[in-house]
Amino acid sequence: MGVLAVLPLFLIIGDVMFKGVSAIVKQLGSPWEFLAWLPPDPLADRWGVGRLLVGTLYSLWEFLTRLPPDPFADRWGIGPLLVGTLYMTALGAVVGFIVGFPIGVYIGEMRKEAFANVARASVNVLVEFPTITIGLFVYAVFVFVIEDLNRTLLSPLSEWLTSALGDGVGQFIGPLGGYNAYAGALALSIIMIPYVALVTASAYASIPDSIREAAYSISGREFKAMFIVLRKAVSRAVLTAALLGTAKIAGETAPLLFTALGNIYYAPFTQATAAIPLWIWYAAQTPYDVQIESAYGAAAVLLVIVLTLFAVAKLAAQKR
Amino acid sequence: MKPKLLIPAVAAVVVVAIALALLASPPGTGGPGTTQTTTSPSEATPPGSGTTGGQNTQPATAVGQGAQQTPSPTQTTPSPTQATTKPPRLSGAITGGGSTFVNPQMITWSKRFYELTGAQVNYQSIGSGAGAAQFLAKKLDFGASDVPMPRDKYQEVKGRFVQFPVVIGSIVLVYNIPEAAYEKTGKYLNLTSEVISLIYMGEIKQWCDERIQKLNPGLKLPCKDIVAVHRSDGSGTTAAFTLYLALAYPPWNQTVGWGYTVKWPADEKAKGTGAKGNEGVAQTVLQTPYSIGYVEYAYWWKNRDKYDKIGGVAYLKNDNDGKYYFPTAEAVSAGADAGLRRYVAKYGAPPSPDADWNPVSIEFTNPPAGYPILAFVYVFLWKDYAAEGYGDAAAKTMLLKEFFKWVLADGQKQLVEGYIPLPESVARIGLQALEQVKP
Amino acid sequence: MAIFLVLFITFYLLSAFTLLFIKTRWGLRLIAAINVAIIAALVATFAWEALPLLERDGLAVFVNSDWDPPRESYGVLNALVGTLITSAIAITVAMPLAVGVAVTINEMLPQRLRGVFGALNDLTAAMPTVIYGLWGLFVLGPVLQSVVNTVSTWLGFGEVMTAPLTLFTAAILLAIMITPYAAAVIREGYALVPRHIEEAIYAIGATKFEAVLVKLRYVKNYIFGGLFLALGRAMGETVAVAMVVGGNFARFTLNPFESGITISSLIALQFPNAHSYQFMVPALFAGALLLAVVGLAINAVAIYILQRATT
Repeated sequence: MGVLAVLPLFLIIGDVMFKGVSAIVKQLGSPWEFLAWLPPDPLADRWGVGRLLVGTLYSLWEFLTRLPPDPFADRWGIGPLLVGTLYMTALGAVVGFIVGFPIGVYIGEMRKEAFANVARASVNVLVEFPTITIGLFVYAVFVFVIEDLNRTLLSPLSEWLTSALGDGVGQFIGPLGGYNAYAGALALSIIMIPYVALVTASAYASIPDSIREAAYSISGREFKAMFIVLRKAVSRAVLTAALLGTAKIAGETAPLLFTALGNIYYAPFTQATAAIPLWIWYAAQTPYDVQIESAYGAAAVLLVIVLTLFAVAKLAAQKR
Repeated sequence: MKPKLLIPAVAAVVVVAIALALLASPPGTGGPGTTQTTTSPSEATPPGSGTTGGQNTQPATAVGQGAQQTPSPTQTTPSPTQATTKPPRLSGAITGGGSTFVNPQMITWSKRFYELTGAQVNYQSIGSGAGAAQFLAKKLDFGASDVPMPRDKYQEVKGRFVQFPVVIGSIVLVYNIPEAAYEKTGKYLNLTSEVISLIYMGEIKQWCDERIQKLNPGLKLPCKDIVAVHRSDGSGTTAAFTLYLALAYPPWNQTVGWGYTVKWPADEKAKGTGAKGNEGVAQTVLQTPYSIGYVEYAYWWKNRDKYDKIGGVAYLKNDNDGKYYFPTAEAVSAGADAGLRRYVAKYGAPPSPDADWNPVSIEFTNPPAGYPILAFVYVFLWKDYAAEGYGDAAAKTMLLKEFFKWVLADGQKQLVEGYIPLPESVARIGLQALEQVKP
Repeated sequence: MAIFLVLFITFYLLSAFTLLFIKTRWGLRLIAAINVAIIAALVATFAWEALPLLERDGLAVFVNSDWDPPRESYGVLNALVGTLITSAIAITVAMPLAVGVAVTINEMLPQRLRGVFGALNDLTAAMPTVIYGLWGLFVLGPVLQSVVNTVSTWLGFGEVMTAPLTLFTAAILLAIMITPYAAAVIREGYALVPRHIEEAIYAIGATKFEAVLVKLRYVKNYIFGGLFLALGRAMGETVAVAMVVGGNFARFTLNPFESGITISSLIALQFPNAHSYQFMVPALFAGALLLAVVGLAINAVAIYILQRATT
């Protein structure tokens, strides 16, 4: 039974990794190309292995930074997709954490209050909310606020920052386009909040009362007791929650459909922004072999990101 | 505790630093993002540079007799005129979207323009309906659609926007009948507007139906249920296709009508199925035995070998001259010429950029001669981006004007197979339109 | 309108300030209120955006099976039925599996493997859904079609599945996705079976099989809780389903072997072009509202069951 349950997992990971990695390897080209002028047996050369490594890393870097393919391309990479995913995921995770963590503390620490029960129920509901509806919500909110936001806040702010810091700022702050990375990050953070809150809450709830009393008695202020002293007891669980939540939002597609839209270039984050899941969703449904291959390649990279986050989270949870 | 806090902090810093490094590098000069180190426009088409693989600069002569002839895909001759008007170096980014019909062409233009100037014209193929809708919602900087702005929406924003064609495309019917595949039989299916309508209306349910068989005496068609594949998203391809059926077969107009999304009777009465985008329909037909679907020419052309293995592409009968046409560049241009002539004969000169273009697309569809299903691809631009509330309007307008000026001039010489360049007189309308856009 | 965003940020800063410097308790309460506010805002937004159509058609939009944009007639019944069919099949397939998985991991496996399989189980729940979709599109769909057709031909029904992308494909993919999720909830309950009860079961001479049955009855609230949570997830899943469901929004069908549509995939596929029509945006928001309300109801049941289990 247990095997049966994880069998699809292996099938999926196997399929995606096999097709994805072979697509990627095809793009890498042979590292030997960089070494064509070397003696035939690189191991005979004292530096051969080093050069081989450099060659491989270089072609991997090229793959990770090249643009995604149009239907007629034969060389492609995942550059903008990777940057967009990392940026939105990082932002979403940070915002999700700074809102989710205190909510978790509240639900865990003051669980006897009536409002804490309401809050707990709301968190439980939010964690199950269909992610597409959250994307739709953020879309509606942005339609609502964007014009005023641009006029009253972002245009002057970006002008001031640009004059102070140079043009590079325009990549991050400026009048927002209809689709942008920040809308995507906002949607992701709403998905992240309840994840962090739930795990934090159960971690705080599981602190033995003896420790809790000791913490309150030595720290004087409630704030210090909750956030500084008790945190030590639960930090591992909370870190795990943050990492698992990050892994979750890194792979989310639905909330990005109407918020980040997708891009094929390294555009400023104030404009439509690319993301790996969006590319997979788009490219997998095209009839072009090169784009389907690129969907698999991107999926393999996404899988590596998610698996890494997952593995780190599990290791962090287990270490004593 | 300190090291644990450090890890996320360091990670965040690294991410931001990488992003900064990537973005701060001047666009076009390579940067880490591009391996194509294009230096001058005349060298912009090295074989295998990534964007020009299957592209041919002169489709009209190169395409020839469809699948029977295979032009070498790497035959990319840099057009001599390419260097005549050299666009200035530009930077910045705009986002447009819409028609999946024009997606291969638009992406090719976008990549080429990026190589030439460094400006990023992002195009997302979200469907023509979405192109018009998201343009009106001011979510996109420009919209692209296979049909003009719908009448009711046109009335709402009349005078504030311009629309003009950028290229001509055609729609082909691809099918998947393993028993009657081109590779086995050496023959393609013959279809008429009536039979297509009846299939999508769910009246003809099986391939061996005598109404299909009668058109194809040489083919033995299996008695299998027809899977009629259509678009599941709003689409200009659907609009152009249903407009053709509505004009060529009146009962279709009465029962179904035409638009971005219609209610397919085949879904209720027979086996209809939806797919997302031209991409999705093309893919679904490839995957699904006994299916038929309508896709933009380029989506069939790129994969024609695959279609030949499992089925093929249909010869279409032009009801006006009674001949069957294979979707070749010649047949499509013949249709486009005939359609335009009919329009000019009826209305005089082509309309101005802020007029309603719906009559044009009606005269243009089902032309008196040539391949019958074709459509202009229209682009929508606002006349005054600042007044419409776009942020950073001046830079955006400049970029949009440069891009479409290039598309209407040099871009017309760099077409992907299956697209037909605009006649000079129509391209001029687009240039007029650009002049109406306030800088 | 920007005022809302400014208000929200001010609110957060205010509560953070309160939390840090004035009264921690009240700061926490304020922050927790954000979460409640988000849900209220979600539902309110959907209701507000759906209002034009609800005013025009009333609740008929939920029982109308007609999706005919050129005639501005919208009903989400097809999608609702599609959602119900896929989730029902998915739950039917997934629940026995989930119970089996939970039991196997907790009972049969040696301690060492237990952790590994538990982690793998969790990983299945954490995998990006778009990757499931990719796999479903290229591997599961075609395989399922040939399997189903082989079986049905053998049974004498002929080839029932004419396309690889159908409601059934979506349902099986969903089952694969939600099994580990339900299993995780059940395992959680399993871990809470008190030691003395476990000992008592074996003390009266129960076989391992009987012991499992008794324990399953002990955790039945968790099983139901897991069922409802998994159901909620199955109903809301978008991308993986949209990739394999076939995208047929025009036909009312009860046959799972035909292509269909679910509410969430209807939104994903039709929303981009909705602004071209007068009432399609409200119709899709009505779909979202329905999804949210049904989701809320299901979650409420699940939470109620689970909370009864813990107390």
